[in-house]
Amino acid sequence: MAEEVKKQRPAPDPNSAKMRLRKIAADAYSDAVEAKKRGELVGWCSSNFPVEIPETLGLTVCYPENQAAGIAARGGGERMCSEAESEGYSNDICAYARISLAYMKLKSAPEQDMPLPDYVLCANNICNCMIKWYENIAKELNIPMIMIDIPFNPDYEVSEAEIDYIEAQMWDAIHQLEKITGHKWSDEKFRQVQQISGRASKAWLDATATARYVPSPFNGFDLLNHMAVMVTARGKEEAAEAMDKLNSEYEENHLNGTSTFHAEEKYRIMFEGIACWPWLRVTSTGLKGRGINMVTTIYADAFGFIYKDFRDMCRAYAEVPNCMNIEHARDKRVRLCKDNHVEGLLVHTNRSCKLWSGFMPEMSRQIGKECNIPVVSFDGDQADPRNFSEAQYDTRVQGLMEIMDTNKEAK
Amino acid sequence: MTSKEIFAKLHEVAFNPKQQLNQYLADGKKVVLVTYYTPNEIIHSMGLVPMGVWGADIQLNQSKKYFPAFICSIMQSILELGINGTYKGASALVVPSLCDSLKCIGQNWKYAVKDIPFIPMSYPQNRKPDYGKRFTKAGYERVISDLEAITGAHFSDDNLRVSNHIYNEHNAVMREFAEVASEYEVSAQERSDVFKSAWFMLPEEHTTLVKELIERLKEGPKDSRKVRVLVSGILADAPQLLELFEKYGIKVAFDDVCDESRQYKKDVPETIQNPMDGLVEKFCSMDDDTLLYDADKKRVDYIVTEAQKHHAEGVIVLMTKFCDPEEFDYVPIKRACEKAGLHQVNIEVDRQMVNYEQAATQLEAFSELF
Ligand code: SF4
Ligand code: SF4
Repeated sequence: MAEEVKKQRPAPDPNSAKMRLRKIAADAYSDAVEAKKRGELVGWCSSNFPVEIPETLGLTVCYPENQAAGIAARGGGERMCSEAESEGYSNDICAYARISLAYMKLKSAPEQDMPLPDYVLCANNICNCMIKWYENIAKELNIPMIMIDIPFNPDYEVSEAEIDYIEAQMWDAIHQLEKITGHKWSDEKFRQVQQISGRASKAWLDATATARYVPSPFNGFDLLNHMAVMVTARGKEEAAEAMDKLNSEYEENHLNGTSTFHAEEKYRIMFEGIACWPWLRVTSTGLKGRGINMVTTIYADAFGFIYKDFRDMCRAYAEVPNCMNIEHARDKRVRLCKDNHVEGLLVHTNRSCKLWSGFMPEMSRQIGKECNIPVVSFDGDQADPRNFSEAQYDTRVQGLMEIMDTNKEAK
Repeated sequence: MTSKEIFAKLHEVAFNPKQQLNQYLADGKKVVLVTYYTPNEIIHSMGLVPMGVWGADIQLNQSKKYFPAFICSIMQSILELGINGTYKGASALVVPSLCDSLKCIGQNWKYAVKDIPFIPMSYPQNRKPDYGKRFTKAGYERVISDLEAITGAHFSDDNLRVSNHIYNEHNAVMREFAEVASEYEVSAQERSDVFKSAWFMLPEEHTTLVKELIERLKEGPKDSRKVRVLVSGILADAPQLLELFEKYGIKVAFDDVCDESRQYKKDVPETIQNPMDGLVEKFCSMDDDTLLYDADKKRVDYIVTEAQKHHAEGVIVLMTKFCDPEEFDYVPIKRACEKAGLHQVNIEVDRQMVNYEQAATQLEAFSELF
């Protein structure tokens, strides 16, 4: 029997983008814990709530969706979902919400702790499920809920009426928060945050756009991890710096002919949907083992928060992925597929996310047609491990690969 | 007409929406399909007939090409009926984006049912402040301009004022019916037929029938069943389910059902001079609803209060499978009922439900608690 030789991995460079981003994400939790200990108020915030508001006001907020993803990735998804179900919550409810509601009850989780909230900040531009979830938290903990309603936009462009409505709510939210926390809004601080968030966004867009190189200088699964910082910290200086670093590393990889995709890149696909956190390794190796690199996802485009001023920011928040009509959402993906030489589309039909999956069959058909690429979907869930089948995933990915192969031969 | 005759007529309408649609079309009218909290007053005022769509208990085939399996069967079956031509002849479909599944149906509809245009209605969740009202108005104006472009009909304030009044009258009659049906002998099926038929008739026609029905019912016997419940849910119209209510002697004392009493809670304040502003006020004053933002969850207290007011000792939650807004509310409802000493049960329902055995077992056990 051959002796197992363990490859000695070099110690990670603390200055690498990956380590910096990891630290920023981890610090967000420890900072919140510290803040709570100091007696500061801590908020829970939905992922596409205008982060500029808490950032400008200097508030400490945590992101339950991120926490739920972390808990699920570390194996706690099923335990927490079952906990919520035992309270009477249906297992049809988004697993992030179930995990979060369970956490509210248990007040701790070994996979990822986070202080309980003194107020919640909700924006429904990603889903209306968010409203119900936060209502339940606000009611149960008897804490204030600040709600910025960003309605699903049925049209291609955001109407002035919608921007008016959002802008008025933003100011209302700011004034409510000033009252709750005693912190004060400053236009000057806002401009700084806007500038940093714009810089982080631009670096993110640039970094993800390096997927245009063939082979891609990165493995798309990187984005699923790094985006946590874009969600939570894009208004912070260190995030902008780390994103700049990420971009320059990807450019360097390209120049050096290296990549964080540690395999030969035989096929390039777009991955649609949230990651299956409990099955991250399985879904990733299922691709890598076949030389399939996921070079892009809609997240590449989702954090392009570059805007001129406060009002323009209101428009930007109405143009996040789950807030757009099918045509606009489709065109953004088509552009990503074309810019990044995508050969196939792998769709995660996510049991948790009705809005994301609810018109995906039609949209992905249209993308496939427009880009002339095969589309294959698999059933899964971003956080409840019970809704995923490894065998089905494997068969579907194999099927996708075979069509991509045939297409290559035909070329 | 006797109450039995009126009930029979309403039953006929409730079970034959297609016939109603064809009749209105044959009369030269244009029909607009409507769903949750659509501005039916506007549609009516433009000389168009608003007709409710709530799906049907049918097998799903083609809708599966558009929706994944975990979207509620109401949206699935509306799409199925659209694709299979059941709504043929209708001029448009109006849908508000008040839940995630409602957001999705319009996007699918545009490609699945090309001959019936989709008109979106964007409502504000923050509907109390002035900016929410302005946004509601912008939404209504958009519906009007789409309707004008599609149907050629015209909008006028004067006509809206008239329609607002007709709808207010209908609301009042429906509220009165709910009270009378609580006190007098009315079966669960009969009660459902009255609410369901309202979706497929012009309100003025429906008002006349229900007014007469109320008079007849008041001449009849009072209900003496002791198992009195408040029913809550999106729909409560499956005949097999309603039969079980009779079988186990369960009286619907009041409802918090989306296509029933929830529709009739608020009127257009006619004291507001501009009828459009009045209509905006109607929506913005709405509360106690799963789909309308409410951090205080006043809906939960509303359910308990209404149950008590109607001498109901129990709450039956009819949970539409995959309806996540209602699923979130169930937990606080359950807790509030327990606190108030009300029995409660959660029964899962689905448009494709064929087997009511589990519901029967639950209802039987529930009825024995009283
Ligand atoms: S996964 Fe979907 S439903 Fe759940 S919080 Fe995110 S956007 Fe909302
Ligand atoms: S409210 Fe519930 S039943 Fe109605 S469309 Fe939304 S999910 Fe479906």
